[in-house]
Amino acid sequence: MTAEDIAGRFALVDELVGDRAEAWDETGLLPVEMLRKLGAAGLLCAQIPPRYGGLGLTSLQNGELTASVGARCGSVRSFMTSHGMAAWAIQRLGDASLHDAYLPPLTSGGLAAVGFSEPAAGSDLSAMQTRISRAGDSIVIDGHKIWVTGARYADYLVIFGRYGQDAGAVVVPADAPGVRIEPIPDPLGCRAAGHASVWLEGVRLPEASVLGGGQDLALLVTTALAYGRISVAWGCVGLLRGCLRAAAGHAKTREQFGAPIGQHQLVARHLAELLTAEQVATRCCEHASRCWDAGSPEAVVAAVLAKYVSSGRAAAGAAVALQVMASAGAHAGHIVARAYRDAKLMEIIEGTSEICQLLLAEHVLTAPA
Amino acid sequence: MTISPGPPPDKPADGTRADRTSADDKAEVQCELLGFLAARAGGPVSADLDLFASGAISSVFAMELVVHLEQAYGVVIGGSDLRRDNFRTVEAMTALVARLRTVTVADNDS
Repeated sequence: MTAEDIAGRFALVDELVGDRAEAWDETGLLPVEMLRKLGAAGLLCAQIPPRYGGLGLTSLQNGELTASVGARCGSVRSFMTSHGMAAWAIQRLGDASLHDAYLPPLTSGGLAAVGFSEPAAGSDLSAMQTRISRAGDSIVIDGHKIWVTGARYADYLVIFGRYGQDAGAVVVPADAPGVRIEPIPDPLGCRAAGHASVWLEGVRLPEASVLGGGQDLALLVTTALAYGRISVAWGCVGLLRGCLRAAAGHAKTREQFGAPIGQHQLVARHLAELLTAEQVATRCCEHASRCWDAGSPEAVVAAVLAKYVSSGRAAAGAAVALQVMASAGAHAGHIVARAYRDAKLMEIIEGTSEICQLLLAEHVLTAPA
Repeated sequence: MTISPGPPPDKPADGTRADRTSADDKAEVQCELLGFLAARAGGPVSADLDLFASGAISSVFAMELVVHLEQAYGVVIGGSDLRRDNFRTVEAMTALVARLRTVTVADNDS
């Protein structure tokens, strides 16, 4: 894609999302047609190759796209992460016939979500109980997934579960008999991202719906989450950029004690912290994306690092931005108030900060002394 | 549908090329992998060491190995090959690379 093409697609985000995020946050709903238009422009999984109708962006380009969506609307960005991770899982784990079957729909308006978490399997995904069983030429799926981002809007669900002695993932049409999707009422953040509980009861599908299958659960999950972690990390960069813009604007115009508040040193320090957060998060994300684009093994740890740093910085940065905005940012749908709530969720989703710390510590312990 | 990325049963392996180079290739791959692991894990490992049982690698490290094998040897490790057994030892990884190199990969965009 040329730079102009990419700029054109970014402009579509501005057009479709615009300043409507506040209203979507308040109602907790995204217009499905808006998501389908973003999807049909290839923007929800922009790294998918052109042969499947995708934009074929690099991770770095997709990261900037993700940040630009995240700066406008955390809910749309969150959906984008889930959809993108579904597409990545299909691309990475599926064979050619699965690519042909499922990738073109995801670049032409079909919507997808990924389900990992279960009531008893959050940070400990090894406790996953969803079962994919063979039954003749079919497979049958039974399980209960929770907090599946985007499931409310999805046409396809990529569901991870036990498969024989090992693990597998399967592409489940959301309207397959036995699938029940119930939106989670009133989430704290990314309120319109369509988080839902998904029940799968005797869902029968052709065996060909299984992505690979018979793999190691930890490897499977690590593979799929690598994309999600980079995506969340870039989303946090966007969130920080939105906060920075709002706080800077306010600090320049709001006057107290006879001067714009940015002239007061305690407020100025908040602005410095916010800029630092945005820059540090951006550098970590750029590094992870460059590793990803180079096919470097370092990408795996760099993605964990980027997710950990960006989400922590976003949570702290949003809190500081709200302090600068004070009452001007203290109503529910304000961009900084949304960021404050959305960022907290980013410290939880796709591996909590604590799980990220454990992975990073493990990396230290397996590296040369 | 079979999901295995192995050579289709009706297509004989390219015996000429494989016979000429497989032994050298394997030795080279094994040597390089031992070097990669020694550098990354901070100590020499033997080709038959069970890397998971010895605690030498975690799933993140295993994923790094997947990416390393793909990048260093130009192979695509498909979903069904993401089994722990394929990465358990240097010997297993060497065999995996040798097998994937003989496969005509038509769909290598992942």
